Amino acid sequence: MATEINASGGTPAPPHEVGRSGGDETVTTRVYHRPMASGWWTRRRNYFMYVVREFTSLPLALWLLWFLYQVQQAQHRAVNYHPTTSIAFVVFSAIVLFFALYHSITFLSLAGSILRFRVIDRPVPARLIVLAQFALWAIASAVIAAVLIGFAR
Amino acid sequence: MSDDVKTSDRPALMHLFWWFMFAQGGVLAAILIPVHVLVQGILGPLGIVPVVDQHLDTWYSILGNPLVKLYIVVLIAFPFFHFAHRLRYLLVDLGVKGAKSVPAQVIFYGGAVLITLLAIVLVLTTAPLSF
Repeated sequence: MATEINASGGTPAPPHEVGRSGGDETVTTRVYHRPMASGWWTRRRNYFMYVVREFTSLPLALWLLWFLYQVQQAQHRAVNYHPTTSIAFVVFSAIVLFFALYHSITFLSLAGSILRFRVIDRPVPARLIVLAQFALWAIASAVIAAVLIGFAR
Repeated sequence: MSDDVKTSDRPALMHLFWWFMFAQGGVLAAILIPVHVLVQGILGPLGIVPVVDQHLDTWYSILGNPLVKLYIVVLIAFPFFHFAHRLRYLLVDLGVKGAKSVPAQVIFYGGAVLITLLAIVLVLTTAPLSF
């Protein structure tokens, strides 16, 4: 059951409204949300970097849509297939790569805080888990690059 | 500002599904996407290395491989569920109230479903299966 917090701060909230729906006990609580100023994310560097991390999804999504377009271009062995080689696309990809690396580093670094393993009743150190994630990233990147380059003629 | 929140003692299976897709999408995006962007978006177009998608024959040939078809669906589907969740919550964090609404959820997660379906259709129709 969720803990209640009253908007006035500290004083007990009204009792739970308890009802039954389809044999399942449902509890209704009122949750206080602190109002946030619209520019809160510009006030501290770590707030800004958090928003940038969330934003990384947009350029990555756009690049993957281009990737799908590149797949579609080859449909039925189209004779007018033209791979994208413009400098504008290279610049776009360089910007996307920056966001992609930022996503990878921040996401994989969190693994040490999220994942919990025990080996012979001893917890695996968080640094070792993060190291394993980065090693997996390096190996996967090498394999994918080998396929993308090695199968080219 | 306060909201009524209903809690239940039943397992939240849909919650489990969306968080699974979000987490796996984040991991797969982190591990798989940078090398594609580097090789196919920068090194290939600049002519520094040969890349499979720079020539139709090699691109068409590799797209016929069933493992590559499966890989492309995974590369697209999981990250897009991750992106949908992050972008919706980015709007929530920036104070866009509508981003919490059901229509917004339908647009973002429905968009991820649509793009997944598009990827499946494309890999199945672009090149015939070949080993």
